[in-house]
Amino acid sequence: MNKVLGFLDPLLIVSAALMGVALYLIFMWVPTETNQGAVQRILYFHVPVAWGSMMGIFVVSGSSFLYLWKKDEKWDRLAVASAEVGVVFGAMMLLSGMIWARPVWAVWWTGEAKLTTALILFFIYVAYLMFRAYFPPGAQRQRLAAIIGVIGAIDSPIIYFAANLWSQAHPPLVTGPAADADSALGSDLGAVLLMSTLAFTFLFIYMLQTRYKIRKSEDDIVELKRASNAVEASQA
Amino acid sequence: MQSRISPLVGRTALATMFALAALVIFSNQSAAQAKDEEVLSGVVVGVDTDDNGNLTRLAVSDSSGQVTTFKFSTNTQFGLENQAGDRWVSSHSDDPVEAARRLRDHRERFAPITVSHANGIAHSVVEREEGKLETNLGYLFAVFVITWALFFAYTLYMGRKQRVLQYEIARLKGMFD
Repeated sequence: MNKVLGFLDPLLIVSAALMGVALYLIFMWVPTETNQGAVQRILYFHVPVAWGSMMGIFVVSGSSFLYLWKKDEKWDRLAVASAEVGVVFGAMMLLSGMIWARPVWAVWWTGEAKLTTALILFFIYVAYLMFRAYFPPGAQRQRLAAIIGVIGAIDSPIIYFAANLWSQAHPPLVTGPAADADSALGSDLGAVLLMSTLAFTFLFIYMLQTRYKIRKSEDDIVELKRASNAVEASQA
Repeated sequence: MQSRISPLVGRTALATMFALAALVIFSNQSAAQAKDEEVLSGVVVGVDTDDNGNLTRLAVSDSSGQVTTFKFSTNTQFGLENQAGDRWVSSHSDDPVEAARRLRDHRERFAPITVSHANGIAHSVVEREEGKLETNLGYLFAVFVITWALFFAYTLYMGRKQRVLQYEIARLKGMFD
């Protein structure tokens, strides 16, 4: 048994179990929403991946700030890992939103506030990763990337409140501290959304952990190669 | 279990859990406030406006012939299509005149609508067509296929990359031994 489970991460097992429960609730338990029909079930994917995308930028920003403060490599690694996972969740948020918009708004995309600010968040992630990929390695790259990471977080509260600040096509907040009673979800729908959010949160943490380990391995290889070169030079 | 959660990621996970717990608490409060919302589908039989043409009241007849009258709040949302299928999305505060015009158009065409409401106040007025399962399932399927395909592809990419890196580390360490 240990041989089988040894390949799996505890977080992956928890994520898969929670995802199974969430899928059961989404397709077998929660009632079909009357206004939109089956397509409303996209909500249980769209909101959790959007939450994951927001978590990503918070982790990027927080760990970038800690890197600037402590100058510890582990915070830089965490920021890079979170940015990459954040890109995946951000892409999911945009794609699921576009597919949902088509039957409900009759368009794939519209230039309204919430969508535009969410797209900007995606571009911030991409810009952060592109900067890291093309800027020469070293402390300066890490410092400048950390500054981008800290500044990037300014977009997240704007996204969260965009639907309430600029009342346009995107529905107002259905969950969280700023949701008003008129637009909040019913208890069944809200419970399923929370379950799905919990499942995607664990998935996010699992992916973040895996990506962090990869980054650590990459740094270890650089160190080993440096040590190897030093040994070769001393032998010569 | 082979792998262990690193302390750094563990602390991040803990912070995330606290954030989620706060979200749960606030969401449940909001959800409890909205529990009394009901939904009615039917055809428009009456549209009242004030002197400026702003929509003030709407009467909807359901399948049993019972007529229900609704008033509006500034937050009432509209999602109504014209005969050509062009969708108009707005709120009552943004354009109550256009809302009245669209609903009169629905009354003339006998186009069914769905109203979500509480205490006689309509929260949303949308096309009944949206409730058709057969027209929506394709979109739902597309979201699930695309999202899961991307997640699995990314997870596989990370797994493969980790294996390559571990092999490289073992090779380099072997050079020192």
